[in-house]
Amino acid sequence: MDMITSGPFWATLALFAISTAVGMVQVVKVIQIREAKHELKQGSAGFLRSVGGWSLIFIWFGGVWFLATIIGDWGVSGDLAGAWERGQLRLRILLEILAALAESD
Amino acid sequence: MVDAAPPGVTQGALQCPKCGGQSLFDPAEGGLTCQSCGNVRDLAHPDDAEARIEYGYDPNAPEEEPATRPAELEHQCVTCGGRVIFTGQKLSENCPYCEGSVVISQPVDGYDTMALIPFSTQENTAQGNAQRWAKSRIAAPSDLAEQVAPARVAGLYAPFWTFDTKEAVSYWAKYTTGSGDNKRTHNVSGAMNITFDDLLVPASTHVTPLIRDGILHEFQPTKLRSYRAGYLAGFAAERHHMSVSEGLRSNRKDKDLLIRNRIKGHINRSRVHSIRYRTDTSGIHYRRILLPVWILHYSYAGKPYKIVVSGINGRTYGERPFSKWKLAGYSALISGAVIGFGLLWGAAGWL
Repeated sequence: MDMITSGPFWATLALFAISTAVGMVQVVKVIQIREAKHELKQGSAGFLRSVGGWSLIFIWFGGVWFLATIIGDWGVSGDLAGAWERGQLRLRILLEILAALAESD
Repeated sequence: MVDAAPPGVTQGALQCPKCGGQSLFDPAEGGLTCQSCGNVRDLAHPDDAEARIEYGYDPNAPEEEPATRPAELEHQCVTCGGRVIFTGQKLSENCPYCEGSVVISQPVDGYDTMALIPFSTQENTAQGNAQRWAKSRIAAPSDLAEQVAPARVAGLYAPFWTFDTKEAVSYWAKYTTGSGDNKRTHNVSGAMNITFDDLLVPASTHVTPLIRDGILHEFQPTKLRSYRAGYLAGFAAERHHMSVSEGLRSNRKDKDLLIRNRIKGHINRSRVHSIRYRTDTSGIHYRRILLPVWILHYSYAGKPYKIVVSGINGRTYGERPFSKWKLAGYSALISGAVIGFGLLWGAAGWL
């Protein structure tokens, strides 16, 4: 009962709802990339346009994963401020990876 | 169009010499087939080898190609404005592009078609391919196949360009290496030559570049035939209305994308960005051609979509709706997995 009324539970639920809503656009992109790889002429302008923007999928994954790690830490330690503090290094590494991916897109 | 004969003469040439019946082009037979007695006439001509000839274009010289009026009756769609020609027996009262109703209009000036590739794919095959394509879509509404089932394909010769160009490209770009404190941005420049051979460009706003890249993976100039009205019998056709310079302009965005992609390949490094380039285009050669397509129209939730099947080899591509519920389902599954992984990672206290 305690867990159900706790902050981390509601935060996880809210993250799940937001991620599901935001992710619908990214799922469309995943399907478009799959269709482009199977059905469009490789290297054509239409193909390049369809597969472009794939880094947004990883930005979605990365953002959701990072917030979930904070919630996970919060759930165990009970200290949200501390969890956020401990997540800063993780965030910096994640932003580096996402920036590199965005540059390769 | 090349056929400068008045409509009556074109009509007469489509009549069967044996029984006087109406003849239509049959993709299965590859010739004009009489609808009454089944007599097949081959449309092959000694001039067919000339159909693959490309014409030079000098962007600095005035365009000399005269615009002409069509010999056949021209129809204009009241919905999308598309102008199509029905040769011989008119098969459809609807626009093959959008299914809007068509009215006979005053013919407007256009440009002669140099060559075409005749239909090889039959209507039944095209219909099956379009239906199968709709059925195989991921995250499509469950009743999509049901909505598409009653729709029929319509055969159309769509106008295309082929362009050959030589590009002498000079470029300047940046690429990034390392991360964190070791992150460095490097400048790079270079020069390269690119040759575009038979770049297919839609000469109609109705066939999008995306659909072109879905159905026309390869282009074989040897399949081109000299334009003859007989090939159009039973099909609609759209005339060319763009001058060569307009055709080149309409391809500018696609060419820009292809050049940028080639530059990335030439630099051969990851994380390339901020590309600038200058190109000197020469050796422009073109053809105005017609390519056969089968178009199937359907609407879903009040929105129109089309599936296009190549009349050359049956390759299929099109537009499709998505089911919001299925997208939400897939998104929820992925979100659940990523959140679960993140929760465990955070709970374990890993970096």
